[in-house]
Amino acid sequence: MLQHGPLLERLLAGDFICKITDEDAYRHLSLEQTQQDINHYLRPLNRRLVSNDDHSVYFLGYHELNKDAREQLSSQFALTVQSLLPLLEWLQLVQETMGRDSALTAGDTIKLQEFVLRTEDNQSLRQRLSQLASDRFFNSQSEQLDSQVKQIFRRLKEHGYLLQPHAERQYYIVTGKIDYLIDVIRFIRDEEHLPVEDTPTQEALL
Amino acid sequence: MAPLDSANTSSNLFSIGAERLALLGKHHKQLMQGYLDGFIDESAFSEGALKKLIAARILWRPDEQQPLALRPLVSELIASMVADENRRQINADVAEKLEQIRNRVQAYRDAQYKGDYSVAELQLQRLTEHVHDLSGQFEEAIDSLWHRLNSDFGFVSSLDDKIRENERAQKQLRRLLDGLDLLDFTELIELSEGNNHLRKLLVSQLQSQLSSHHSSLLEVQKRLVELLAKFRQQQSRSLLIANMAAFLRQHPKYQPADYPNRSEVPTLFNQAASIKPHAAIALDNASERQTLAELVRALPRHTPVTLLDTQSANFSALLQDEEIAARQQALKTDVENFYLRVIDQGGKLSALSYLEQQALTWDSEIWLYQIIAEYQALPVDEKAMFAMLREEAPASDFNSLLLIRDISISLQAA
Repeated sequence: MLQHGPLLERLLAGDFICKITDEDAYRHLSLEQTQQDINHYLRPLNRRLVSNDDHSVYFLGYHELNKDAREQLSSQFALTVQSLLPLLEWLQLVQETMGRDSALTAGDTIKLQEFVLRTEDNQSLRQRLSQLASDRFFNSQSEQLDSQVKQIFRRLKEHGYLLQPHAERQYYIVTGKIDYLIDVIRFIRDEEHLPVEDTPTQEALL
Repeated sequence: MAPLDSANTSSNLFSIGAERLALLGKHHKQLMQGYLDGFIDESAFSEGALKKLIAARILWRPDEQQPLALRPLVSELIASMVADENRRQINADVAEKLEQIRNRVQAYRDAQYKGDYSVAELQLQRLTEHVHDLSGQFEEAIDSLWHRLNSDFGFVSSLDDKIRENERAQKQLRRLLDGLDLLDFTELIELSEGNNHLRKLLVSQLQSQLSSHHSSLLEVQKRLVELLAKFRQQQSRSLLIANMAAFLRQHPKYQPADYPNRSEVPTLFNQAASIKPHAAIALDNASERQTLAELVRALPRHTPVTLLDTQSANFSALLQDEEIAARQQALKTDVENFYLRVIDQGGKLSALSYLEQQALTWDSEIWLYQIIAEYQALPVDEKAMFAMLREEAPASDFNSLLLIRDISISLQAA
C-alpha cells in the first residue's frame, strides 16, 4: 500500500482523481486489484472508492451510511445543487467567449488573458461575467473585470474543476470533475423527468 | 498506317495539351482567385486571353446571366492539389473503370491474335494506365478521407456541419467499399489467363494494392464512426448544459429530491467529507532519534536579547485605573483633532479659543500641557510643519518669570 500513499492522501483530502489531475494515479485506480486494495485499506475509515458512470473520475464516498455520513452528504448535496447554475453559466460563457463550437471537456485549456481580452470589448459578455462573478458561489466583490475573472478561476480551481499547471502562469486545464458535473445534471434530469433535452432531433421537433 | 496516324494525333495532342497547360500557368493568379471567388473577374483578362481560356475548356459560362467560372474539372484539379476538403470530390465509380479494363484486355488480345504488336503494345500501355487510374482513384479518396479525419473536420466551423460532413464521408466510404466489392479477382484471373504481363498487372499488382486500400478504408471507417460518436457526445453535452441552465434560470426555487437520505444513495452523491492525515515523529522509536535530533539542530536558534534594565519614567504605568486611562485617551484624541483642525484650516489657531469653541471640558492648563506634549512628541520632520507661538506675560511686575497665557499653532509651509 505504501506506493499508493500520496494517492490515498489526495483521495482522503477529497480530491477528484482523473486522467488530467494525475495520470499515473488514475491508471492505477483503473485496475481492479488496486481498487480492492484501496477499499480494503479505507474500510476502517468508513470510506470507499466511488466513480462516475464512465469511470473517468474517482473520489471517496462512505462505505456505510450512518447518521453522520448522511448529514455530511446532505450538506454536500445542498452545495452541489447551489453550484449548478453558476457552473453551467460559466461553461456557457466560456464556450461563447472563446467561440468554441462545443462545450468544455476534460483536457481543454483556457488562457486567462485571452478570456479577459475577448470579454473586455463585448458589453454583453462583460455584464454576464460580472453578474456571474457576484454569484455567491464565486463571491467576487470587485468591479474590475480582471479581478472578477481571477476570482472565478480561483474558485473553480479550489473546487477542482480547473487545474493550474504553473502557479505563475495564468492558464488552466479543465479536469475530469466537469464530467462528474455533467453526470450529476444528467442524473437529476433523468430522475426528476425534467423537460431538459440533449438530443438535437427532439429539439428540432419542439 | 496506324502507327503513323497515332503518331500524328499524338504530336497534335501534345502541342495542344502543352499550349493549354501553359495557359493555366500564364494566368495562375487570376484563375486561383476565380477558384476562391467562385467566378472569374473578366476585367483581369484581355479579350484574346478569355477566348483562349474558353476554347481550352478551362473557363465556361454556366448560364447566359452568369459570370465566367472555372470548369468543374479544373476546380476539382485545384481542390485535389491543395487538399481543399470543402471542394474535393471523391470518385467512387468502379464499374465504369472495370468495363474499360475489360475492353482494353479484349482489344489487346485481339491485336496480339492479329499479330499487330505495336497496337498490342499501345493497348497494353492504355490498360496499365487504367489499372493505375483505378488504384489512384482509391488512393486519392483515402487521402482525402484521412485528411478530413485528421483535421477533425476543421474546414467547417460548426459542430452540426462537422456531423453532416462526417456522415457524408461515411456515405462516400460505403460507396468506395461497394466499389471494391465489384472487383472480382476470379474474373481478373480469367482475363489474364496465359499472359504474364496481364497476370502481373491485373492480379498480383492490383490485388495487393486493392487489399491495402481495403484495410485503409476499414480503418478510416472505424475512426469516422468513433469521431462521429465524439461529435454527437459533444453536441448532446452542449445542449444539456444550455437547456439545464435555461431550466434552472426559469425555476430559481427548484430543489431536486433529497437523494442523500434515500435508502439507496446514488453513488454520484456519495461524496465523503475530507480527512487530512497528520503525522509527527514517533518519540518512542529509537531509530528515529537521529532524525529528530537533526531536525531539532536545524531549528533556527533563538538568541536572547538582553535588555538593559533601564530605570525610566513610565507614564502609562501610573495609569492603572481604567477610567483615568480612558480620560487620558480622550484628551489625546481631542488634541489630535485640534492639530487636524490646524491642518484643515491652514492659518493660525489659538488653543484656548478652540477649547472654548468646541465646548470641551478640559482644564485649560491641562489642555495647553497636552498640546505642548503632543507637539514635542511629533517626529522631527513633522514638527517642522507646525509653528508654535506662545503668548506669554511676566508673572508680575517684579517677577520676570514668563507665564504662558495661550498657545497658537499654525501650519508652516514646508
